[in-house]
Amino acid sequence: MIDFDLPFWLSCAKFALVFIPLCLIPICIFLERKGASLMQDRYGPNRANIPLLGGFRFFGFVQNLPDGIKLFTKENFIPRGAHTFWYLLAPMIPLAVALLTPSVIPWFGPMVVEGARGLTSVSGQILDADAGVLVLFALSGLSVYGVVLGAWASNSKYALLGGMRASAQMISYEVSMGLSAAGIFLVVGSFSLTQIVEWQAAHTWGIVVQPVGFVLFLTSLFAETGRAPFDMSEGESEIVAGYFVEYSAIRFGLYYMGEYAHIAIAGALVSTLFLGGYQIPFMDTEAVRANLGLVSGAIVAAIALTALGIAWMVRRWARIYARLSAKDATDRKREYGVLNILFTLAGIGMLAVAVALVVLVQPAKIAVAGIDVWPLWVNLGTAVVQVGTLLVKILAICWVFVWVRWALPRFRYDQVMALGWKIMLNVALVNLLVTAVVAKLVKG
Amino acid sequence: MARTVSRPEMTLAEKAYVPEIVKGLKVTMGHFLKGLFTPETLPVQSYPEVPSVIPRNYRSKHRLMKRPDGEPRCVACMMCSTACPANCITIKAGESADGRIEKKPAKFEIDLLVCVFCGLCAEACPVDAIRMDTRVVALAADQRRKFKVGLKDLMDWDPKDYPESDTQSQKAPGGLLNAEARKQWGIS
Repeated sequence: MIDFDLPFWLSCAKFALVFIPLCLIPICIFLERKGASLMQDRYGPNRANIPLLGGFRFFGFVQNLPDGIKLFTKENFIPRGAHTFWYLLAPMIPLAVALLTPSVIPWFGPMVVEGARGLTSVSGQILDADAGVLVLFALSGLSVYGVVLGAWASNSKYALLGGMRASAQMISYEVSMGLSAAGIFLVVGSFSLTQIVEWQAAHTWGIVVQPVGFVLFLTSLFAETGRAPFDMSEGESEIVAGYFVEYSAIRFGLYYMGEYAHIAIAGALVSTLFLGGYQIPFMDTEAVRANLGLVSGAIVAAIALTALGIAWMVRRWARIYARLSAKDATDRKREYGVLNILFTLAGIGMLAVAVALVVLVQPAKIAVAGIDVWPLWVNLGTAVVQVGTLLVKILAICWVFVWVRWALPRFRYDQVMALGWKIMLNVALVNLLVTAVVAKLVKG
Repeated sequence: MARTVSRPEMTLAEKAYVPEIVKGLKVTMGHFLKGLFTPETLPVQSYPEVPSVIPRNYRSKHRLMKRPDGEPRCVACMMCSTACPANCITIKAGESADGRIEKKPAKFEIDLLVCVFCGLCAEACPVDAIRMDTRVVALAADQRRKFKVGLKDLMDWDPKDYPESDTQSQKAPGGLLNAEARKQWGIS
């Protein structure tokens, strides 16, 4: 009989974190649609509803559901002359890559737990590789294969043009992406993402020591994910749609989901390298563990305030009744009334939970084999807090992606190439050089 | 005379691009926050629950004006179908029952899918028989032949839907001025 080995099972449980980008896809799509519509002075999607739940519309979040059903039930069309095998394989690559990349992102601080073979450290990464960031860049670069392969296998010249443009752009910007991230590796002195985050907790966030690197890296990521203003791979007026022009139904949906999963991954990458990763500002992992009651209480209180804020927003949005037809206004009054009560109650309830957490949670170290370690529940509680922190940072970066998309006009293709090779590459090289000199002088 | 188009040089701040990006981001964020916190100010209409207001002089689906006795006012002179650039009007003339009038349309058909809604037919009509002021713009049917509307459809309108100032419409049966008009025409 095999002994129950806690570190082993914890490592297995960490695989669940792979699905975080997948869960972020509908949230990203909602953010994009609502952000886009409000920036253009519209309401955005607000008609789809769930009849079983009294026709509730949840401010358009339900729109994801009919979209998904539509994508799954439409005809899977394969154009004549397409290379069937590659055509069917290609859309899977971006999403598969997006599912693989979270394995090297540190989701929480390393914890020390007692196992069958004594005290063992469990890392916050699924794959705790020393060169984790190289794996990440390699995987991120792989997603262009899905684009080019799909474009070529479609047997369509428009798709091929889109694919060529996408591949040229991604390869160009990968250079400045790697070089702009190299600055932070020099400062930290490690390729390990966990160590980069721990360094940021001990010193300061990467955005403070590498502001130029941050801007360059973020810009390269816009190009890397193929988002506006770098959406060269798509272009209605130039190449019909882009590399996915021949794809329909869920194969198109895979590309679509892959794009949003890629954005979520990009958000995780930026947060990890430049925004302190899973760390709460001004608190390292040890401080969070020692003050778990206070920290978790503060976070729950913040969520409670958010819920109360949403309730306030619901009451505010009730002002649009006057613009609706009589029947519609009645339906919305019912929905907004229920949502208002729900969010208010949730906010008050969570405030009570926050107080209880602050009072009741008093973590203390226990001695195992002569060494003081934190008990398992403290470690797990801290992990939950830190995953939540990283999620908040990822969503903030996703919001920046949406914001930039609707603020900037898209570049012309030659401008994209000129910006990538003539400006960003040079700035990244100078930044790297200056960082190297300063790092050598400071560190010795 | 030649006109000089001024092409202002970009300033250094504009060439640097980044300050302009910040400006653009400010604009979009301003719109976002305005929409989020004061949704009632957005220039949005809840179509189709709240129908849009179409002005009277908008060129919409056609109608044929009626005489006080309910007969079409059209005299089948073919002016409209001649003027029509899309050739969507088909008229077949017949003999009028009224002795004072020579012809009436035995068939009057407009193919709304072919029509370009230019309004030339209404302008060409010498007796003000065809008008395009029904304010019907959402034309929908499941078969193409249903878009070919005939006499019955074109004359199926109610004087109550038209303002009192539109005296010509009010002379039709059911209108405010119908009794008066019938007296003038000598029909009881």
